[in-house]
Amino acid sequence: MLLKRYGRVVAVDNLNLSLDEGSVTGLIGPNGAGKTTTIKMILGLLKPDKGTVKVFGQDPWDNSAIRSMIGVVYEKAFFPAHQKTLEYLQRVCRVFGVSESRAMEILELVGLQEAGDREIRTLSAGMLQKFAIAHALVHSPKLVVADEMTANLDPQARSELLEIVLQLHKDENVAFLLSSHILPELSMVCDSVAIINRSTVWAFGKLSELYEKYAVGIIRISTDSAYALEAELKKLKYVEDADSDIRGVSVRVAEGKEDKLYEDVPKLAKKIKAKILGIETGSASLQELYRLAVSGKERK
Amino acid sequence: MGKGKPFLEVLASAMHEDFRFPFLELFAFLYTLGTFALANFTVGIYSQVGTNEAVAYAVTSSLIGGSLIIFIILIFKNVAYGLGSDLEKGIIQTYFSYPLKRWAILTAKLLSGIGVSLLLFLGIQISAFYILAPDIVLPQFSTIILTYAANLSYPLFISAIMLLLTLKLRRGGIGLVLGIVLYFGMNIASSIAFFVALATESALGLQIISVISPTYALQYHYGGLAGLSSSLWTPTLAETMLYIGGSYVIVAALFILGYIYFSRRLNL
Repeated sequence: MLLKRYGRVVAVDNLNLSLDEGSVTGLIGPNGAGKTTTIKMILGLLKPDKGTVKVFGQDPWDNSAIRSMIGVVYEKAFFPAHQKTLEYLQRVCRVFGVSESRAMEILELVGLQEAGDREIRTLSAGMLQKFAIAHALVHSPKLVVADEMTANLDPQARSELLEIVLQLHKDENVAFLLSSHILPELSMVCDSVAIINRSTVWAFGKLSELYEKYAVGIIRISTDSAYALEAELKKLKYVEDADSDIRGVSVRVAEGKEDKLYEDVPKLAKKIKAKILGIETGSASLQELYRLAVSGKERK
Repeated sequence: MGKGKPFLEVLASAMHEDFRFPFLELFAFLYTLGTFALANFTVGIYSQVGTNEAVAYAVTSSLIGGSLIIFIILIFKNVAYGLGSDLEKGIIQTYFSYPLKRWAILTAKLLSGIGVSLLLFLGIQISAFYILAPDIVLPQFSTIILTYAANLSYPLFISAIMLLLTLKLRRGGIGLVLGIVLYFGMNIASSIAFFVALATESALGLQIISVISPTYALQYHYGGLAGLSSSLWTPTLAETMLYIGGSYVIVAALFILGYIYFSRRLNL
């Protein structure tokens, strides 16, 4: 059980987390939830005020053996600015005792082979994050810890980085711990998630298990009048929960009442003059899963 | 791969940033200019000072004079600005992902920031001695070493204070300002101490100052300012060496504190 405070502010409280080797785990939660603090404790950059962190069975604080097994990607990557990308990666290869030819291999893997001769400071934000991934992978780590690595990137660059994550996981069996508050992208790559909110873990497990626990019975109704439909749905006795966003309403109904909802939705839509664009069963997004987990609404 | 290599790579990386073009070239030029220009100007003045040791002290002090401020500027830049900026921007975090102990990373940064500057400074100065005053170097080598040790102690003391402040605040700006204040403050403090000593006929102020800046003890040992101080305070060579040794103990203690903080307490 970890505890970390900054003065009077509790950043992480009562946090208990254990990751499987070889998995892609998402650490999700809003800004200020405690994700970065958790990651920094895992990386040995912060000492917990209470509790212990073990990475591959060892305390990560000032532990060079652990560092050989972990690659790190920060939200904003910082490297010595005036060094050339290929030269710096070759230096990192020497630091970790791997062949210098690995530097070009890894630059090619992230699509930066053309930028080998450029100084690090001249790289764009997207290129810099790709370089950070290359830097994290030089020594073929068992685990890559990435803190909000896509936060400042455009959609194209984000998608490319996630492709790289998937490819590495598949080809080199690299485990990832990815922290993000951009949930749709995590749902593309993660097989487990830890939901952190208000400094502690609210739910943790394989995605399928969490969906089973929180999202079974969720029916997603796409509509052009989500808020009005939500209000009407909440009046129905068999509706346990309804929550809308701009594109639709996610509804949880009592067991066995799904057919009844299918009957009632067109009637309600007609009443409020809403257009129903689609109805799907059991299709909660990670965003909804997160909301349900945080609100503690598991299926009764 | 041997254990030493990661350390050397981090040192090389730190040096690449601290001394990227044209810093190394510029400071080497300034050291050379300062050393040789001032040496030509002062050797004649100090050649009549007295004993051989006093002459060696005077010549060494005059050689150091112009270059010391350049050395100070360089280590201030590297310790406060360089390390501070690395902490602030996250480059130290990046170094912390390498298989190196924290103390080794700090050593690499300090060797780059202070060690290289020191080598540059001493290398040029000692070469200048052999060129400009070859008759003094060998016979008075111990006096010359003592003079360098006394003169370098206070800049290293300031560097250690700047290091502690930079580590604590994780930025270099305030450390840099404090370093400059301490450097010029010592000149003012020593002048005040001198006049207080003259007025009160007590050298206590000068002795206190000499604990962290033993160059004053050495100066008074060799006759002080225009002979005025001989009646105020004339420490023996043994006492002077004690002041120098004591000042380095303080400097070492401050650096050790920095290492302990960096290794055990620095949360990033």
